[in-house]
Amino acid sequence: MHLKMFVLSSAALVLWLTPLTALDKKIGWHKAMQGVSLCAAIACAVKSGNIAYKLSKQGEIEAIKERAITADVIDEISTSAYISQQQRQHEAELILSPVECLERSLSLDCEEPEHAERFTEDKLAARSENPDSERLERILQLQARGYGKAKIILDVWGVSKGGSPKYKAAEAEYKRLVGE
Amino acid sequence: MKAMYLVNYFTAGCIASSLLGWIASLHPMAFKAITFLIATVAVVWVLCWLLDFSISQLLKVSVSDLQAVLVSGLAMMLIGMGVFVCT
Repeated sequence: MHLKMFVLSSAALVLWLTPLTALDKKIGWHKAMQGVSLCAAIACAVKSGNIAYKLSKQGEIEAIKERAITADVIDEISTSAYISQQQRQHEAELILSPVECLERSLSLDCEEPEHAERFTEDKLAARSENPDSERLERILQLQARGYGKAKIILDVWGVSKGGSPKYKAAEAEYKRLVGE
Repeated sequence: MKAMYLVNYFTAGCIASSLLGWIASLHPMAFKAITFLIATVAVVWVLCWLLDFSISQLLKVSVSDLQAVLVSGLAMMLIGMGVFVCT
């Protein structure tokens, strides 16, 4: 089709220009040949133009078809991706649901807020009721660090070594707690 | 391909102008007839160029398309006649 179109175009140009340049207008049959060739050239050009027009329309239709096919493919891919995403989400929900149940039950058993608050209050009450045990704990910690008696008394009671009654009282309490 | 068919129709128009010149060269009466035809076409062309907005609405084409057709028609006529006269 393309070859025919190009041949007809070339023929139209040749039939238009060649007789006009090569033949003499004063000779009768030359002039007749010019007229015939011009008519033939018009026919060739119009025919070639019609073929090109058909090919152009076919090209436009092909382009439309290609665009439609591309749009279909894109739509199909996006639909399948959406479905697969939904499937994955559903599977993930199925996997996660027993774990969530377990976590909820564990949190109910161990981290009940009322229970935790009660436990903290008991601890604070025990500490306020028994300050000796706190002091003893601190003394043991300082002894483990290698502190001496004077330093421990200074740290726990805030009294420096000397003959003051406060220091003597602190020393007596220290001895009582340590059990010397 | 659109350019190809436009070029082919343009070539056909040029050849048709040359054919008109050839017909005009056959006889003095034919020459007068072709001259009258060309004059009529020229008047119509000028009117179309002046009334381009009205003509475009009448023919339901855009103004630029109409102007392109008019300019290409003038070019076809000039090229075809020029080729015939020069050869």
